[in-house]
Amino acid sequence: MKILRGFFYAFLVALVVLLAVSILAPNSVAADFLRREMAPIMFISLVFFLLMGYPVAFSLAALGLLYAIAGIELGLFTTNLMQALPNRLFGIMENDTLLAIPFFTFMGLILERSGMAEDLLETIGQLFGPLPGGLAYAVIFVGALLAATTGVVAASVISMGLISLPIMLRYGYDRRLASGVIAASGTLAQIIPPSLVLIVLADQLGRSVGDMYKGAIYPGLILTSFYVGYVLVRTILNPKIAPALPPEARQLREADGSGGYPSLVGLVAIVGIASWGLIQYGDLESLWGISICLIVAYALALANRWLKLGLLSQLCQQVVIVMMPPLALIFLVLGTIFIGLATPTEGGAMGATGALLMAMANRRLNWSLLRQAMDSTAKLTAFVVFILVGARVFSLSFYGVNGDLWVEHLLLGLPGGAIGFLIVVNVLIFLLAFFLDFFELAFIIIPLLAKPAEALGIDLIWFGVLLGINMQTSFMHPPFGFALFYLRSVAPDGKFLDKVTGKLTEGVTTAQIYWGAVPFVCIQAIMVGLVIAFPGMVTAGLDKGNGVDPNKVKIEIQAPPADDAGPPVFK
Amino acid sequence: MGGLLKLSAAIDRFSTFVGKTLSWLILAMVLVSAGNAVARKFFDASSNAWLELQWYLFSVVFLCCAGYALLCKEHIRIDIVAGHLSDRANQRIALFGHIFFLMPLCAIMLYESWPYLMESIRINEHSSNAGGLLRWPVKLAMIAGFALLLLQGLSEIIKQIGVMRGVYIVPRGQPKIH
Repeated sequence: MKILRGFFYAFLVALVVLLAVSILAPNSVAADFLRREMAPIMFISLVFFLLMGYPVAFSLAALGLLYAIAGIELGLFTTNLMQALPNRLFGIMENDTLLAIPFFTFMGLILERSGMAEDLLETIGQLFGPLPGGLAYAVIFVGALLAATTGVVAASVISMGLISLPIMLRYGYDRRLASGVIAASGTLAQIIPPSLVLIVLADQLGRSVGDMYKGAIYPGLILTSFYVGYVLVRTILNPKIAPALPPEARQLREADGSGGYPSLVGLVAIVGIASWGLIQYGDLESLWGISICLIVAYALALANRWLKLGLLSQLCQQVVIVMMPPLALIFLVLGTIFIGLATPTEGGAMGATGALLMAMANRRLNWSLLRQAMDSTAKLTAFVVFILVGARVFSLSFYGVNGDLWVEHLLLGLPGGAIGFLIVVNVLIFLLAFFLDFFELAFIIIPLLAKPAEALGIDLIWFGVLLGINMQTSFMHPPFGFALFYLRSVAPDGKFLDKVTGKLTEGVTTAQIYWGAVPFVCIQAIMVGLVIAFPGMVTAGLDKGNGVDPNKVKIEIQAPPADDAGPPVFK
Repeated sequence: MGGLLKLSAAIDRFSTFVGKTLSWLILAMVLVSAGNAVARKFFDASSNAWLELQWYLFSVVFLCCAGYALLCKEHIRIDIVAGHLSDRANQRIALFGHIFFLMPLCAIMLYESWPYLMESIRINEHSSNAGGLLRWPVKLAMIAGFALLLLQGLSEIIKQIGVMRGVYIVPRGQPKIH
């Protein structure tokens, strides 16, 4: 600690002396040194002050201003530089894309209370229950579904930790596998559209959010299947680590004790054939054809429940009923974006409205919940956008002294061309993700990478998806991953008395949570490698996109944003 | 110190009031934005005023709730080093940051934004989009936001000094939820 403190004061004194001497004596050696090496010095002091632990947004902005003033004194900038500040801020304010941040956050908070996750986990758990590893598959499946409705990790991890984890512990799942699968499935929300990460990446890389979504669909699904594959391999090697649910734990059974699977398979087949028929012969767009069939199936399931028709098995009826709300939300959010009804921002608003209606229909919406959700959303929006404000203020002087060119030069000098660049950047992001939050990475680091990437002929959508998968790990890195924190906060620590079996059951230790995440971090790294090796995974989604490009909708309704005034040309 | 702490408590109450009141705009934003999409598709009606209202509301929320977020200690910090430091060191860092980072930042932003707002009012600036909104109210939000942040920063400085002198005890807040 003493060394650290000594280092801290030494750095602080050195910096203050350097700045003071330079400003007081603009012709001195110190001033020349500062003029020449301003960009690296800015960067080092940024790292230093960020590590001190003062809020990132304010540190960034204050450092940017400090060096702007120093630069003006040294004759690097004119005083016009400062007048560009309000314009920069205004550019952030009128950025429609950023509105998606409060929308999806609000939607996630409302959904968390709407009971959707609970219903899904219970029913899908029953569906896969008889398989070894069934609950783990259910968690992955529900994780992907929740990810496709909203982009919030906390909600998924917490509800899965509260509902699925106790059942897994009760029936003797391996603690590491159980916690790893929950944490990893929760982070799928980061990569499966509509995710906040992709929105922010698209914004920072200057690409359309719709394209970023389309590019991320296949990698997201492949990643999900890797999780399934991992559980499958583990359970084949050692079935004891994830036993099937015993018969008494499966409540959704028929009177004669059978599972009711034929009924479900039959219904799925009928829906599949009917929608194929409608699309092929009924001249309907595929989205509408499938929607109509699903709505009919839903109506059938509801009728079966209320009128006790006995047409469908218990399991089939329940699966159809719980699957409908998330599918409807996916349609509301992603469907409306892909068919060109809404911009990604408006898609978020539609989803939030849908979530409100759903919570209302389930009688789970009340004033205190609404107020809490709005309050949390307002605070989150403020701190996230302020990081961006800070980063833009910092970049005003950092780019002014050609800091971006300095970074570009460093990165372009790497051996191995585009591949070398991608590998180094990914390793860098992977390491930074251990202690930087996703938003900090996105707003500070990503803008610096965009230009060199483009210069090397890298498709920025591909690059964005790649970084998205990489940054997903920042949520599950032990020991700082947020998903692990969330899981720790809801998982029982030490022995606890199980309510159903009445037995004393082992809880989950923090070490088990950490070790459980490791295989999934490895899967993540493999996935990054695969996306680098096969860019087709990303671009395949782009070519097939139908409907109106969401960006066109935006272009016709919006005047181009005013460029920053001020001497250097910024981004 | 007692008088200052009372002032700080009053600022905290004011920031909370502003934050909680403005958070209703989140709901308004959601409804306006969803309404815009539906109106454009089904009624073929698109109004620039309503489209601009979306980001006007957004700007007001993020700017004017920044002080409230500061009060609630919501602004992200990197605690990889700070977590190992003593309470005393962390208190000093917070005080240092408030005085040398936050205060000058707010002051400079206010100083630079003021002529920006005045110019907008003077020329009665409107959006360049047809049927767009008047611009100065949203530019006023920039001033209001940084003024609120400055005010809350003052309160934080008072509280921090109070804590270091042992005359102020941090109330036990609710656990933080992200």
